[in-house]
Amino acid sequence: MANVFAFVESRGTDVRKVGLEAVTAARMLADKSGGGEVHALVIGPPGIAAKAAQIGQYGADVVVVVEHAALTNYSPDVATATAVERIKSGGYRAAVFSTSAQGRDLSPRVAARLGVSVVTDVLSFEIDGDSIVVRHPMNIGKVIATIAIAGKPAVIAMRPNVIAPAQNAKAGRVENAQPAIDPASARVKVIETKVGGGGKLDLAEAPVVIAGGRGLKAAENFKLVEDLASAFGNAAVGATRAVTDDGWRPHSDQIGQTGRLVSPELYIAVGISGAVQHLAGMRTSKTIVAVNKDKDAPIFKVADYGIVGDVFEVIPALTEAVREAKKHH
Amino acid sequence: MKIAVCIKRVPDMDVRFRIGADNVSVDEAGLKFDINDFDVWAVEAALKLKDKNAGSEVTVISLGPDVVQETIRKALSMGADRGIQLKADKIPADGFPIAKALSEELKTGSYDLILFGKMAPDSSAGVVGPMTAEFLNLPCVTAISSLEIADGKGTAKRELEGAQEIVEFPLPAVLTADEGLNAARLPSLKGIMAAKKKPLEVKPAQLPPAQLVVRKLELPPERKAGRIVGEGAAAVPELIKLLQTEAKVL
Amino acid sequence: MPERTKKVLPNAHQAPLPLDRLILQETPDAEAVPMDVLFVGGGPAGLAGAIALAKLVKADNEAGGDLGDVQIGVLEKAGALGEHSLSGAVVNPIAMRALFPELKDKDFPFRGSVGGERVYFMTGSRAVRIPTPPTMQNHGYHIASICEIVRWLGEKAEGMGVNIFTGFPAASLLTEGQRVIGIRTAPSGLARSGDPGSGYAPPTDITAQITVLAEGTRGTLSQAYLEWQKISSDNPQIFALGVKEIWETLKPLDSVVHTLGWPLPKDCFGGSFMYPLSPNLIALGLVVGLDYKRTSDDVHEMLQRMKLHPFFKDLLESGEMVEWGAKTIPEGGYYALPKRRHGDGLMIVGDSAGFVEVASLKGIHYAMQSGMFAARAAFDALKRKDTSAVSLKEYDAMVDGSFIVSDLRRRRNMRLAFQESNFYVAGLKAGLMTVTGGALPGGRIESHADADVEREATQPDPFVPDGKLTFSKLDAVFKSGNATRDDIPSHLLVGPDIAPEVADLYAHMCPAGVYERDGERLVVSPANCIDCKATDVIGPRWTPREGGSGPKYRQM
Repeated sequence: MANVFAFVESRGTDVRKVGLEAVTAARMLADKSGGGEVHALVIGPPGIAAKAAQIGQYGADVVVVVEHAALTNYSPDVATATAVERIKSGGYRAAVFSTSAQGRDLSPRVAARLGVSVVTDVLSFEIDGDSIVVRHPMNIGKVIATIAIAGKPAVIAMRPNVIAPAQNAKAGRVENAQPAIDPASARVKVIETKVGGGGKLDLAEAPVVIAGGRGLKAAENFKLVEDLASAFGNAAVGATRAVTDDGWRPHSDQIGQTGRLVSPELYIAVGISGAVQHLAGMRTSKTIVAVNKDKDAPIFKVADYGIVGDVFEVIPALTEAVREAKKHH
Repeated sequence: MKIAVCIKRVPDMDVRFRIGADNVSVDEAGLKFDINDFDVWAVEAALKLKDKNAGSEVTVISLGPDVVQETIRKALSMGADRGIQLKADKIPADGFPIAKALSEELKTGSYDLILFGKMAPDSSAGVVGPMTAEFLNLPCVTAISSLEIADGKGTAKRELEGAQEIVEFPLPAVLTADEGLNAARLPSLKGIMAAKKKPLEVKPAQLPPAQLVVRKLELPPERKAGRIVGEGAAAVPELIKLLQTEAKVL
Repeated sequence: MPERTKKVLPNAHQAPLPLDRLILQETPDAEAVPMDVLFVGGGPAGLAGAIALAKLVKADNEAGGDLGDVQIGVLEKAGALGEHSLSGAVVNPIAMRALFPELKDKDFPFRGSVGGERVYFMTGSRAVRIPTPPTMQNHGYHIASICEIVRWLGEKAEGMGVNIFTGFPAASLLTEGQRVIGIRTAPSGLARSGDPGSGYAPPTDITAQITVLAEGTRGTLSQAYLEWQKISSDNPQIFALGVKEIWETLKPLDSVVHTLGWPLPKDCFGGSFMYPLSPNLIALGLVVGLDYKRTSDDVHEMLQRMKLHPFFKDLLESGEMVEWGAKTIPEGGYYALPKRRHGDGLMIVGDSAGFVEVASLKGIHYAMQSGMFAARAAFDALKRKDTSAVSLKEYDAMVDGSFIVSDLRRRRNMRLAFQESNFYVAGLKAGLMTVTGGALPGGRIESHADADVEREATQPDPFVPDGKLTFSKLDAVFKSGNATRDDIPSHLLVGPDIAPEVADLYAHMCPAGVYERDGERLVVSPANCIDCKATDVIGPRWTPREGGSGPKYRQM
């Protein structure tokens, strides 16, 4: 029986989904090791304390809340020092973080200060005797490593979307705490967090990517793609080189060998024939769907699921169906 | 300015990897190796600062067997001034000992800035930069996509999921480079010639024992053959069903 | 009434070689990089030459010679050594042994010795084993990947202090009077318009006392030099196109296999090869003369159809195609050799000079050996401080007196017989030549340049690749590792007035899908180009482009 620490990622006064995933993962680890407690740490500006109950719902026995007016933005120095202090005092078997932009920044710092290694991008874990054994993708996902962690605590950062946050209500006893260092003394200061264009997801991080090609015929028809993305809620919009060259979309949206490389859970290619350069940018996506009117289009060779048809007919129908499906989710 | 850039020799990812006979390493036969792309951007960032600040010196450091000298030469041919190889039989799979060995070397150099790529594609871990910063007790900003240095302090931008952070930090500091930081220069012919004459020091890497043990490597399950679900809007319900029950992405 | 079949004469649509761009009478830039000897092309010929020269210089300096520091450069257009190299290959180790007398065969980057070998005559449904012709016997030779050979040679060269410049294509020869004084590289980072874009790097001049052209098959500067200097050959050079795939198979292959006959039309010269790099890693290729007779003849597609034959299908079906590539092969042999392969400050070696012996399907050892002769000639010229044509003539004399020319001479008419006869008659003549040492039948058989062979405008039988055993050109290019940026300006000079049937010819000629016919129009996708040079032989002219473009072969 051993207790497990979870770092709950937040932005402003919102707990992020990856934060709840970390709590869920910590809960699973605690249960697997004979039923220890999960102690979750959440750091944020005034208002974050209100989220403690939610964190308890997902399986935290104790929620350590660090509320401070100077912590509207992520402070790597404060988060590192505070997490390290708590982990050191708690005698945890494991500490769970997220492999998000913030978790990638934080987890190695915490591990280094604890004098242990860290495994990021963890796909799954198990307990094998004295070791925690995790699976971690290497070589951009082309090889999967099984790694035994000798250090204690075992510091891991979960890959987003591999463990769904699961309700598993525990006491969620709130412990209010102070930042381990004065936020004003932090050397690295995040002076601003700009949320991009109306909560738009970044192509490289979005779990769903919808990309449009020449088959959309005109810039204004990208509305179809945007509608489908908004039906998903967690989708980003991309485009082919031909489309960005024609100025229908900004170059920053281009997916391909010469543009962005994406590897989402779900990739939907709308009116894209599948030129080599484009395929190079997206073929590691987990599930690929293609909609194209040409049944011989090369995109169908890499697609898991294809629909042969007019995008102007298929995409609105798909958007509607996704909206419907999300409603019942 | 004194700038250090830590670089890694990595295999080209555009292949189907094979697992070695020992089951815990990738078979290197037929693989092509080159400097990690993220590290190239880190080198470029250093060279840009050198171009702006007369009298600056850029040192590139790489840990590994003698073949990493080729990687160091590549950075030297771009314009870095000198190289250090921290010699090790192989590059550990665990970032912890690497960060320890690098910090042992870096602490002797009194650098104003220490740059890394944000991650290497082979280990896909991204931990060496921030761990090294901790061991050196230096401020650290990871995964930066822009950088300005003026009056002994820096401003950088980090890309988050659907957001950006603007970060300020004092020097000396450790930074890790993300895509988009810059467009790296190609080595010029003159640069390649000059690189051969630049100093490259070889020192043993002070590697503590690894705490991570790779038990096995395996290839991910084969991608199943794709299929045409149907034609036109009529195929949408079937697609939704497959996305929910088979692909489990909806 | 059926329309009379249209004919296409490739030559009528080809742009001339742009000599004004390729041969510059200009003073090199003040910032020019000075070399003593520059090898243009980092293949077996250029690298073997550079290593041989470095060894000669080192030995001379150690013996107290007066040469001092000799700067040797190798210029390579690929981003890394080997990425543009493609061959069968079964290698005769003779040149490797001569270059590295201190090493043993087991030290060389060979995959294994040739065990058994088998030759088959194919029909659409059968494979009939035939006796292995004497020219095709490979006992004592080694199976190898030319990419691996080139990378290995590159390491040796670097170790000897040779300057290797990868990612720098030579775009022009710099000349002074009749003398070649260096080269100018191609710029990189041009936008599609041809104007400098982001990441633009201007051309660099390299001066050299001696420039050695080792560009490989259908070398652009080599052609330009021969044309500029009006150096002729008895026959024009002719080419074949080889399309090659590497397969990981579940079933092993234990011997070298060659086939003749199907799927080639009777009037096409060529055949297939299948070599085990390791028992379950197989190099498979089809080589077809570019003097084929129909616009719809398509080497890539022939290879795809060939794999559907039970003979190949049984072996490959459960496997996976891991790499794809294509390259032309100079097949003209003895009579197509340029009368002179040297000039003031210049030598031409390897495939660029046409040192390939088609009957035994060999070129690598000739390439290396010619590079080594050029090294010797360069060394002697530097010693006597005379790099003029008179001094470098020694190179031609060494080549002429070596196995390179005697081998090519012995099989001098073998390939040519195929151009003037159909397959069976030619086969008979070839047999006769083998027993008589090339003497029969009669003297030199005249041949036509591939571009002068008229093609019948024909429509192909439809073929739909399955993406598992057979592949479209687009899929194939992907497997070549080609990641050329897609906004690169076109490096292909398309002639005027391209009629639809000419567009058809180009579309089928190009294995990489650079050309497509869209209605009446020719569509060109230059980023697909993998530098096989077939286009330069019978289609739009190929010119040097940004370094690092093209394929990224790993074990071809």
